[in-house]
Amino acid sequence: MIIMKRLLKNFFYGFLTIGLVLSFGHFAQAASKSVIKLGCAISFTGGESRTGKLYRDSYDMAVEQINKNGGVKVGNQTYQLKIVYYDDESDPTKSSKFVEKLIAEDKVNFLLGPYSSGITIPDSLVAQRYKVPMIEGGGASGKIFSRGNKYIFGTLPPAGQYFKSTLEMLKTFNPVPKTIAILYSDDKFDISVAEGTEKLAKEMGFDVALYEKYAERATDFSSILTKIKALNTDVVLVAGHTEESLNFTQQAKELNVNPKLISMTVGPSEADFRKSLGKDAEYIFGVASWSTQMNFKGYLFKDTQEFVKEFKAKYNYDPDYHNASGIADVAVFKDAIERAGSLNKEKVRAAIASTKLDTIYGTVEFSENGQIKGTSVALQILGGEIYQVYPNGAKKPVYPFPSWKTRK
Amino acid sequence: MLLQILVNGILMGGLYALMAIGMSLIWGVMNIINIAHGSFIMLGAFTTYWLFAILGMDPFVSLAFSIALLFALGYGVQRYLINYVIRASAFITLILAFGIEIFINNAALVSWTADIRKVQVAYGAANFSLGNYVTIPTIRVVAFLLVIVISIAFFYILNRTNLGRSIRATSQDLDAARLVGVDVAKTYAITFGLGVGAAGAAGTLWSILFPISPIMGGELTLKSFVVVIIGGLGSMLGPIIGGLALGITEAFGTNWFGSTYGNLISFTILVLVLIIRPKGILGGAD
Repeated sequence: MIIMKRLLKNFFYGFLTIGLVLSFGHFAQAASKSVIKLGCAISFTGGESRTGKLYRDSYDMAVEQINKNGGVKVGNQTYQLKIVYYDDESDPTKSSKFVEKLIAEDKVNFLLGPYSSGITIPDSLVAQRYKVPMIEGGGASGKIFSRGNKYIFGTLPPAGQYFKSTLEMLKTFNPVPKTIAILYSDDKFDISVAEGTEKLAKEMGFDVALYEKYAERATDFSSILTKIKALNTDVVLVAGHTEESLNFTQQAKELNVNPKLISMTVGPSEADFRKSLGKDAEYIFGVASWSTQMNFKGYLFKDTQEFVKEFKAKYNYDPDYHNASGIADVAVFKDAIERAGSLNKEKVRAAIASTKLDTIYGTVEFSENGQIKGTSVALQILGGEIYQVYPNGAKKPVYPFPSWKTRK
Repeated sequence: MLLQILVNGILMGGLYALMAIGMSLIWGVMNIINIAHGSFIMLGAFTTYWLFAILGMDPFVSLAFSIALLFALGYGVQRYLINYVIRASAFITLILAFGIEIFINNAALVSWTADIRKVQVAYGAANFSLGNYVTIPTIRVVAFLLVIVISIAFFYILNRTNLGRSIRATSQDLDAARLVGVDVAKTYAITFGLGVGAAGAAGTLWSILFPISPIMGGELTLKSFVVVIIGGLGSMLGPIIGGLALGITEAFGTNWFGSTYGNLISFTILVLVLIIRPKGILGGAD
């Protein structure tokens, strides 16, 4: 034990020295080449690391694009952007500690958000305490924006509205489906989605036959699926994570459960989901605040299609709404800093609040509470690709699903 | 519907038993609580995944490879790592196993990233129906049969072969075993290899049924642990009884109380078993 302690101590001093040397180098660099530092504690490892990477890729690409095209102009001076990252290991407590470190030790100018609502909440509170504006693209739970926190801005639409377009789409089908099962993972974002969806569904006259929560990262859905089969609900809406969506779909087939429609918040829009399930992913619906089939005039990139092309060339996968949201976060910072004409945190905060910016993600405008205005669209997997099917989709939605047994 | 829930529970129980049987063997014979067990299952799953992704090998063919590979790995880990601390208190082996777990998980994270992967075989979700009431997923039935085969094989090895006699001898009286010429280090290594090999088999089956990722091991270790405790040590029937008890109670419990309570239910059973039958349902040796 004593040896361990000594070893740790040596390591500690070693790192301290290295850290000091590095940070001096840092300051020297900062002085010669004006840099605006954005701090970001995000998941490199752990349960959220897959989606965390989507945000990192986008943040990096946006920063690269800005620096390549002349940086950020504040008055007469131009600045380069630089992101300081820490790996929060998908742990909310660690994440908020790193945000504190970013502000207090790394002296970052502004903050970029982490991924997932559960981690964004504590992080946003740190941002508020130190009065440093944070723009985040990965947390949509109402709980982030209901605290009167003036320093948090989010570019994912309100969780409770996620399934709104899907429910509206259901009304256009003939016959209109009657019963709905709402399943949701036990985490803050999905709870917000489910609560909002239940309310909307009831208002629109649907019968919510099953409303059930399951444990986060659940692998076995046989008990829920057995219930759905017994209730024979027309529609199944799932608010969960990729892994759960994969399990749910495969097990629906294993147990031969055939609702007329399945829609999932996370999963269908990701290329991995379709690759992993192959043909079984066919006809599954998804929701997204954005899809690659949209086309908006961009701020950092010419337009959405141009961005999609460049992104694919750079990272070798299709961007989804997480990526687009991440790009918008950095774009909003550049625009707000330039309009504020200063690096003063209060002035930039005010500029962010009055943002009205065309980006490849759509027009970014924030509500009073800091969350983006806008809603989401319904997608469906058809022929191995994901298409926007409502409203004004590229393709018509296929409803009802062919049952598992009748599929080729 | 009740019948379907019962079937779900039994089949899940089979999968739990398959996961736990290797852990039970190692624990029962060597008194090592292999915290890294779930990570070995993960390695088995990835062996199958890579053989499938690169060579297009069918998971039921690669089953042999993942058992063999994990056996060799287990043998090596015991022989060249755990063997050095096996005389120390159980606490030290626990810490070492914990270290091995951290190492394996992070090595896997670094080399394969945290991406969720899936072995995409046509029969992954195959099923058959009994009447109009019950749908039975085929692969889970296979998993169930596999655990029975493995437990019979372990039973045979332990009770009918020279190797088994050496294994039992070392676990009963180490000095006596040594006196009659048992190579203790080798015997331990083979036992550990067998246990880890069984984890490899569980990994292969798991990879057909569920998506896999390098960090999946922790929860599997936990479930295996509960199964071993519930079933009791010292018998090859233990994990099967434990697995079934857990699977069936979970199936009915989540149906009645809601799906969020799956883990609560498993640990409640664990506590109840520890209070009422501290040596497990079968009440084996300590």
